[in-house]
Amino acid sequence: MRWPRLAWLLLLLPLVPWTQTRIDRSLGGFRAQEEVLYLWSGDQVRRLAPGFEGLMADVYWLRTVQYFGGQRVFATEKRFDLLEPLIDITVTLDPRFEIAYRYGASFLAEPWPIGAGKPESAVSLLERGVRNLPRSWLLQQHLGFYAYFFLRDPRRAADALLAARKLPGAPPWLETMAADFLAKGGERQTARKMWARLYEQQEEGPLKRNALNQLQRLDALDAADALERFTAEFRRRRGRWPDSFQELGQAGLLPFPPVDPTGVPFQYDPQGGKVEIARESALWRHPGPLGSGLR
Amino acid sequence: MASDTTDSPLQIVGLSKAYRVGFLARQRRTALDSLSLALVRGELLGYLGPNGSGKTTTLKILTGLIFPDSGSVSVLGEPLGSRGWRRRVGYLPEHPYLYDYLTPNEYLDYAGRLFGLETGTRRASARALLAQVGLEDSADVVMRRFSKGMVQRVGLAQALLNDPELVLLDEPMSGLDPLGRRLVRNIVLDLKARGKTVLFSTHILSDAETLCDRVAVLRSGKLLAVGRLDQILNVDVSALEVLVSVPGASLPDLPGGVRVHPAMSERVRLDVPEGALAPVVAAVEGAGGRVLSVLPTRESLEDYFVREMGPPAEGTWAPRD
Amino acid sequence: MGSARLSRVQAVAANTFRETIREKVLYNLVFFAVLMTLSGLLLNPLSIRQDEKIIKDVGLASIELFGTLIALFMGVSLVSKEIERRSLYPLLAKPVSRGEFLLGKFAGLAFTLLVNVTVMTLGLYATLWATRRGAGPELLQAVLAIYLGLLLVVALALLFSTLTSSALALVLSVCVVVVGRFADVIRNMREVAPGVPAWATQVLYYALPNLRNFDLKTRVVYGDPVLSSDLGWIGVYAASYVAIVLGLAFAAFRSKDLQ
Repeated sequence: MRWPRLAWLLLLLPLVPWTQTRIDRSLGGFRAQEEVLYLWSGDQVRRLAPGFEGLMADVYWLRTVQYFGGQRVFATEKRFDLLEPLIDITVTLDPRFEIAYRYGASFLAEPWPIGAGKPESAVSLLERGVRNLPRSWLLQQHLGFYAYFFLRDPRRAADALLAARKLPGAPPWLETMAADFLAKGGERQTARKMWARLYEQQEEGPLKRNALNQLQRLDALDAADALERFTAEFRRRRGRWPDSFQELGQAGLLPFPPVDPTGVPFQYDPQGGKVEIARESALWRHPGPLGSGLR
Repeated sequence: MASDTTDSPLQIVGLSKAYRVGFLARQRRTALDSLSLALVRGELLGYLGPNGSGKTTTLKILTGLIFPDSGSVSVLGEPLGSRGWRRRVGYLPEHPYLYDYLTPNEYLDYAGRLFGLETGTRRASARALLAQVGLEDSADVVMRRFSKGMVQRVGLAQALLNDPELVLLDEPMSGLDPLGRRLVRNIVLDLKARGKTVLFSTHILSDAETLCDRVAVLRSGKLLAVGRLDQILNVDVSALEVLVSVPGASLPDLPGGVRVHPAMSERVRLDVPEGALAPVVAAVEGAGGRVLSVLPTRESLEDYFVREMGPPAEGTWAPRD
Repeated sequence: MGSARLSRVQAVAANTFRETIREKVLYNLVFFAVLMTLSGLLLNPLSIRQDEKIIKDVGLASIELFGTLIALFMGVSLVSKEIERRSLYPLLAKPVSRGEFLLGKFAGLAFTLLVNVTVMTLGLYATLWATRRGAGPELLQAVLAIYLGLLLVVALALLFSTLTSSALALVLSVCVVVVGRFADVIRNMREVAPGVPAWATQVLYYALPNLRNFDLKTRVVYGDPVLSSDLGWIGVYAASYVAIVLGLAFAAFRSKDLQ
């Protein structure tokens, strides 16, 4: 190519990325809201590509996973608005997409910032899964677990587990777990058993990591409770709450380092002697209405 | 006469074809109007006519591409609908398109299989024909690379592959350079020498004049005339064509009424009215020249065409030929 | 069929196969189909253990999609292009009948499709073995059903090709193929358009090709059993529909003036 033409071409090239950044800046703010508006319903998408529903379900599932991961990692305001529509489309396209129900429920149920914090949606999703895959004891089990842990409805949870027990291949411990659900008190212990089961069952990946995270959180909560007993003891002895963990330690009332299982120190509020999981910890959950699940 | 027609390799009686044209195809235009023609075995018939006269329509009916409205055709003694005669007939269409992704060998092999020729026969025949049309070196080159003339020659080869008794050629010279035309002309004469019957449709009147035994002339779908050239063309004995040779190409004074055609070296052609022959001869010889030949002028086919092909009759029309 | 007739049909079929194989477009399509299947390999980290399902979904969908494209594009050029380019003329003057010609074209293209579908299927299996996921013969059931559907598409393309120009034939064929995929909508048309009389929807439903019949992809991917009788019925449907369509094409073609 001749010199002048080459020069023109080189001059024009940067124009494209530059205008792109301009577009992103001006239109980008509205993108997320637009997307929600323009995302079609599952039925509409189904109509679009008859004969290719399985493939479309895969595509939407990939989108779901990417969206979820992207919101978790990159978004400053983690909104998870599109999660429910994306999952809905996925399972409308392929009602037998078992993994979409299981993982989708987790993404929806976990409280902010881990997930969308919509446990009722998660449970509805699992109910839909149970309807479409009636022979899957695993989904029934998940339904029970989520009803217990996120909706705090032990009756519903126990019923689900017993229904699961009747399905082919169901393990016998479901009955014992159902009994545990119905028993009064000891919820944290039961929750621990539940997450331990889930940890065993899940394949390598986000759900397994999440189960581990929940188990560690329960340990952290136990540790926080223990520390609060010590701060209460301090108050009983000195008539006031300790100023910090250090003071507690100086008083000989700190038998173990005040860090959670991920190594992040607990947060202490001297006003009421409260010990909380630190905001920066991976174990932190937003204390919304039902968002935090069982403590 | 009767024995001629029953032995006729191609007999057309009352063939008519009209096309529907216009929006919603309401109008009818005649392409062929009750055409009747019979070929004589072993002859070379020129099928002539201006564009749109129905030549190609006739050939398309013969080859089964279109269906006539009325009339009957018998080919080599069999009716048009029977396919048996197709084994013994060869056809070269005008501007043939022959699968440009094939080589000549592949195309001829395909054509041969459609003729029902045995492998050995068709290979040998293909080889011989490709040599005859001068393409033996390009026999395995994909035809996409061929010039129009080369494709035309392969077309001729596929028409002769089955050693047909009757050969139908539609504009066989088109697209060929003078060498190519000479080649085709020789092939056609060779066919005639071997007793084949050839129907030769063409625009090029000089070819018809030199090659054909008889011509059939079409105008507006009707057969205008059929017969030997000397039967159709007027022989105008009122003028003579005199060829003379004069030294230095300088002509003596000639009597009036003599037309002089431009000289070629020392030879000059003169059109001389009958009565003036003697004085012209005397003048030429007096100038030291010689009279080479004296012939009665005959109008050419071109003159005949110009004379006959006035504006077409009302209401008749033919599709593009 | 007499042996002379058969050998003419074979000659047309063999030439059609050669024509389509030398058509460069074909290679691009097959290449892209195989590429799409291979791209399934890239999805491993993203898909949370779904790569086997995704590879199968992508692979089968590619075979179906690209096979349909090949059937459509090659199918309409079978007759329309031959007429438009007049390559038909020297051939029909020979002892081959129009019916033999059509049959040979269909057979040639059916064989071409078989070769292409086989190549794409091999690509799919290769991808599955490369990712060390098992791949049994059950996938072949879905591939067979797809192939039978493709034969139907070819027959339809051939029919439209005898009736009209190649461009219009392509448009019509695409329309029929799309409508054929929405066969269930046609059957349940009265849900959205209650004014339509029941007999009309019935007629429409049975007359139009139901291409959903050939979609066993979901069943095979989820490992549901496919009975041989199921495949048998699908085969009979395909064979009868193809026979009817080819018969119509023959009827349309045999007395058509070729300008």
